[in-house]
Amino acid sequence: MVVLKRDCPTCLLIEPVLHQLADAGTLTAYSQDDPAFPADLKVVDDRELEMSWRLQLDTVPTLLRVEQGVEVERVVGWLRTSWESLTGVTGLGPDLPDHRPGCGSKSVEWGVEAELDRRYGDAILGSRTVELADLEDEVEAAYARGWTDGLPVVPPTESRVLAMLTGTTRAPSEVVAVVPPDLAECTVEKVAINAVLAGCLPEHLPVVLAAVEAACTDAFNIHGLLATTFPAGPVLVVNGPIATALGMNGRGNALGQGNRANATIGRAVQLVVRNVGGGRPGGVDRATQGQPGKYTACFTEAEDGSPFEPLAASRGVPGNALTLFAGSGWWPVVDQRSRHPESLARSFAASLRGVAHPKLAIAFDAMLVICPEHGRVLREAGWDRARLLTELEELLTVPGGELVEGAGGIAEGLPAGFADTPIPKFRPGGLLLVHAGGGAGMFSTVIPGWVSGPGGSEPTTVPIP
Amino acid sequence: MRVLMDPTSELVPATRTLTPRPASLDGLTVGLLDISKARGDVLLDRLQERLAADGVTVRRYAKPTFAKPAPVDLRHEIAVQCEVVIEALAD
Amino acid sequence: MHDIADLEGRGLIGVFLASSEFRDAAEAQSVALGLAVPYVLVPHPIQDRTDEEMQALADEAYAAVLAAVTSQGG
Repeated sequence: MVVLKRDCPTCLLIEPVLHQLADAGTLTAYSQDDPAFPADLKVVDDRELEMSWRLQLDTVPTLLRVEQGVEVERVVGWLRTSWESLTGVTGLGPDLPDHRPGCGSKSVEWGVEAELDRRYGDAILGSRTVELADLEDEVEAAYARGWTDGLPVVPPTESRVLAMLTGTTRAPSEVVAVVPPDLAECTVEKVAINAVLAGCLPEHLPVVLAAVEAACTDAFNIHGLLATTFPAGPVLVVNGPIATALGMNGRGNALGQGNRANATIGRAVQLVVRNVGGGRPGGVDRATQGQPGKYTACFTEAEDGSPFEPLAASRGVPGNALTLFAGSGWWPVVDQRSRHPESLARSFAASLRGVAHPKLAIAFDAMLVICPEHGRVLREAGWDRARLLTELEELLTVPGGELVEGAGGIAEGLPAGFADTPIPKFRPGGLLLVHAGGGAGMFSTVIPGWVSGPGGSEPTTVPIP
Repeated sequence: MRVLMDPTSELVPATRTLTPRPASLDGLTVGLLDISKARGDVLLDRLQERLAADGVTVRRYAKPTFAKPAPVDLRHEIAVQCEVVIEALAD
Repeated sequence: MHDIADLEGRGLIGVFLASSEFRDAAEAQSVALGLAVPYVLVPHPIQDRTDEEMQALADEAYAAVLAAVTSQGG
């Protein structure tokens, strides 16, 4: 058999040879562009390039000898000696030059090969496909099916999902997690589709995968976090060289908008919970008011110049890692006067007392995001994480009598039995410290957490492979 | 044919569905939208009489032309003022 | 029909009426819009009907209209 295209000078050149071969035995020609050429020969229409793709051709003409359906030998381009040897027919093309290179096969033209891989290759993607009606707008289609968080999503075409999957070596069919509340199995492919929706790049996918796995652990308890009326959502803190490699923002406006990696990685996790897990507002998501961090809440630390080692490292996972924290509405800590850590710590403590409620203690966790200008005060005094936490614990331990129900004329508070004990604001390990933000501005941020313990959520740190 | 990959757990069908229907029109406002083709107003007048006789609140609207979709302001007005809409009469 | 599809998307319950000549177009548009918009057909012709005839068409269609907008047929 020979595969050729009319739009190729060598293929035109060898037309007489093809007739010679046809006369001498069985020759089947496959045409990539015009089955009418060569005339008077048996030509199979391969304009769909299926045979060309299966034969993995990159050049036409290619001559092949096939015995009982199995390829035995092939010659690329025109070379009389090889053609005669392959076919066993001598005297081929006496008026032709001895050899002539071929032209590019249409099956390897730019963009075509990927499309042929998709069309004829073994199906890589296993997810259900959704056909859009002719008049359906792709962006509106996602809204109509409830796939979005209220903001538009990137339409998850097959090619976008395949491109996203190049960001991981894991198999698309591998199960990453069982996602509450529907307890649906979530594959790498489903995470990839939601990462496409979120606007991620393929290189973001490993972080999203690690975050989904971490979120679905019993310890983190994404189900409880979703179902509570309390306004919390997962906050992702990424550490390690990967944060820089992905262009994540740990500096100016790190907790805000504008950085693609920050924005889309956090969003992808929320979309997985929504679309795969089935957890949405009005359904299992019963948050009374919610808060904007439920769209996305993902950042990295300003590791250079930090008074502390990275958060994940301090929790036993050095290098590329992420910490998931159940966070609610964030507020700033203004302190533009403290030159010494003792004073600054008191500002932090005063602000942290308000987590959940000033009269509630131990149950709720918190994260304090220390800005570089505040970090400088700590660093210059040689205060590391342990030192600051010790100071804060002391400052945040108050007589139980101030906290019990009814104290201060406030019904909310701790049970009366706690009146005679000093009570720390946070449980051991319940206050996390991170360092992030721009170089100017003496405003840190408190991210109040949710409850810990059974039924609550445990901050979870995992490596990013 | 444009195809999207389904991001959900696939526990429910992926097709667009209609708004769930109520058991009855009690307490609901029905908008009658005239597409402004001839004789449609007479038909809508009669539907209005029937609905009113059944105790249903009715509001009337008309498109400026049958040749284009209703202007967005009109669609918004209907969406705000009604729960049900009956559009007539295409031929 | 596009109007009803749009309004359904806004959470309204919709139905449209058309002459029987419109059936094929209705099916095609339904497919193109990706939504099975309910419709009620009245017998063609329309343009030359008297008022009494139009009112009769409305009466005949009334039950079907109610059925399209309620779950229990009115």
